[in-house]
Amino acid sequence: MSRKIKEPVLFILPLIFFIVVFLLFPVLGTFWNSLWQDVSFIARRFIAFSNYVRLLTDGRFWQATLFTVMFALVSVFFEMVFGMITALVLNAHSRLRGALRGIALIPWAIPSVIGARIWQLIYRYDYGIANILLGKAGVGPVNWLGSPVGAFTSLVVADVWRTTPFVAIILLAGLQTVPDDMLQQAQIDGANLFQRFFKIMIPLIRPILIVAILFRTIDAIRVFDLIYVITGGGPGGATTSLSMYGYKFFLTGDFGYGSAISVILFIIAFLFALLFVRIGRLRA
Amino acid sequence: MNEKRIKNILKLSGICFVLIFSLVPFIWMVIISLNERPDFLLHEGFRLTVANFVDILTMGNLHFLDYLKNSFVIASTTALISSLIGAVAAYAISRITFTGKTLLVLTVLALSMFPQICIVGYLFKFMTNLGMINTYGALILPYIAWSLPLALWIQMSYFSRIPRELDKAAQVDGASRLQTLFKIVLPIAAPGFLSTILLLFMFCFNEFLFALMLTADHKARTVPVGISLFQGLHGELPWGYIMAASVISCVPVILIALIFQRRIISGLTHGAVKQ
Repeated sequence: MSRKIKEPVLFILPLIFFIVVFLLFPVLGTFWNSLWQDVSFIARRFIAFSNYVRLLTDGRFWQATLFTVMFALVSVFFEMVFGMITALVLNAHSRLRGALRGIALIPWAIPSVIGARIWQLIYRYDYGIANILLGKAGVGPVNWLGSPVGAFTSLVVADVWRTTPFVAIILLAGLQTVPDDMLQQAQIDGANLFQRFFKIMIPLIRPILIVAILFRTIDAIRVFDLIYVITGGGPGGATTSLSMYGYKFFLTGDFGYGSAISVILFIIAFLFALLFVRIGRLRA
Repeated sequence: MNEKRIKNILKLSGICFVLIFSLVPFIWMVIISLNERPDFLLHEGFRLTVANFVDILTMGNLHFLDYLKNSFVIASTTALISSLIGAVAAYAISRITFTGKTLLVLTVLALSMFPQICIVGYLFKFMTNLGMINTYGALILPYIAWSLPLALWIQMSYFSRIPRELDKAAQVDGASRLQTLFKIVLPIAAPGFLSTILLLFMFCFNEFLFALMLTADHKARTVPVGISLFQGLHGELPWGYIMAASVISCVPVILIALIFQRRIISGLTHGAVKQ
């Protein structure tokens, strides 16, 4: 009997060890650190929620919060649109299907920093291909990375490019569960292509659609790599995400305040997760 | 008849869209890497050269080969260890009833939602205290933890499709649980195990924030960090080098994506859409 109890513990022990030591402790530790004044070369001091009070009056923090939420909402919206188009293409019968699926994975498969570097060069003001093409079309050069709106747009485009394949793969799994005969029956009953898509496919794959939105929103809220490379958070802090803002404090050795920002970011991600799960349940 | 035509037009334009969308920025990277100057469109036009590739591979002070080696060692070690730990745990969870099982799965899943920034500040101090900053261990250990939820999730989904009668038969024949896992269940779930390893390799090969905070120089720095920190001598970014380094670094992951397209898609699907 005692062997039966011990065995599963032994099996999950390595998992629990790594999760506890390198995920759970750091998360709890971050929360604990956020209650301290913890700056390099100065003695640590417990200050309870003072870091959070400081956040309330920190204009740059609110700017970063607004940017992070806006970025996530706009990016995820376009990712769903392009991801759905891609999923429909990858689901269609064609001789190229296998190759197409491989090719469609490329933007997602390559490291995000490399994708970011590609877009950074495309957006360059003087010789970036975006402005050269616009110039050929008779439109003046756009200051992509030097203006707040331009930088926001640039980052959204780069993020949509990188993560559309991921959304497409998730949605593809949903499309494959839609029974062919149901679509054929609807066609016989006179439903056209678009009616079949909006009235049959979308309702059937709604649970997977919500999973995709959930995954992507949580991921988009912690955006860091793209911003670090493409804009560095600029111009003038206009594209500083919460991850980026927290990182800046870690970098300068202010661990207490950086931790407080991280905790807020986690809470925002958590609230979005709850919201989507809620929406999914209510509609079901 | 009319609808069939519309459908074909939509399909064709969809295929064009996917090809252009996925490939054009990527091809642009290759073109820049093979060109003498990144601003060639304004000047003399395309001039083919492989100098960027030769330089990046031969100039020791750029350390690109170091970054590549570090990335490979770290990503493959993590992928292997994490997939194995995940397999053993997934087996226990899908086969053995024990108290707190649901809680465990939910906790692991919830932890995978944490933004990395919530972990990395603490880890930086932790690794500094252990004297491990700028070593492979500083990245491999957190990467294992960070990738375990995915490893667990994917493999639980694969294991749950294997009939339990097989395990029972093996156990009747006197095999221990561990033997059953490695001799019966894992071989059947081999495609799932492969998917897990490939996905984890790609995730670790791509990871940026941990690598940025927990490494200091070429001894442990990985490719993404190296590429993000390339600086020219006079402040101007060395675009030729950056793009050549990017092309080389893309080769392994693109080969994985093209060759194992089915495995990657199946792994992602199992990870996201629990049956």
